Amino acid sequence: MAIQIVMDRTGDSRHLFNSHDAQELAKAEQRFYELTKVGFTAAIRTGPGQVCQIRSFDPNAEETVFFPRLVGG
Amino acid sequence: MGLSAMFGIRPLPPGGRSRKRATRALFISHGAESTPEGRSLRLLRRWLSPSQREQFGRRGYFEVIGSDSGKRYRIHAGASVNVCEIDERGCLQEGLCFMPIGALPIGDVMLAQKIALETCEREVRAVARRFTPNGFHFRQARPLG
Repeated sequence: MAIQIVMDRTGDSRHLFNSHDAQELAKAEQRFYELTKVGFTAAIRTGPGQVCQIRSFDPNAEETVFFPRLVGG
Repeated sequence: MGLSAMFGIRPLPPGGRSRKRATRALFISHGAESTPEGRSLRLLRRWLSPSQREQFGRRGYFEVIGSDSGKRYRIHAGASVNVCEIDERGCLQEGLCFMPIGALPIGDVMLAQKIALETCEREVRAVARRFTPNGFHFRQARPLG
């Protein structure tokens, strides 16, 4: 199972999906673009502690984290 | 009558302070796991490198390398005014204040700051407010790692 983790005030919302199921994959892809369209940044882990920002949906990503747009404090 | 007796304050036995601190750390790391703060800190720890995790646990901050300049930044426990550029000797340089919008728990804010500095440093520097760091900004309040 793959997972999309969306940061929010509860800590995060988690969306599990089976990347071998076309319907679930399509739903995950739709969620990816809905979030990035409104300013969320998507990132995946590429190794222990190594991260990479992604701008298009990666069907092979096991874990994707989304965080809201950054602003100056 | 001494002030301690007047206010019912009992001095801690030898070793009591460290036991109290250890108990508090244990509560934070285990008892608070189901809270938003606890969940966010657990997610942060999973995404840190082993050395960052160790540093965070011991010192209350961890360091990242900027993706564009190769500069080192120290991310302290906190949700704002908690990031500082450091020089090669580890001395504090310019402070950067930036965070994701929304009232996110500390662990989420720190993870977003780590990802942003490690993947799009230039964009971070474009939005961040600068501040001059001092000891007050980066006091280690409690072990969160």
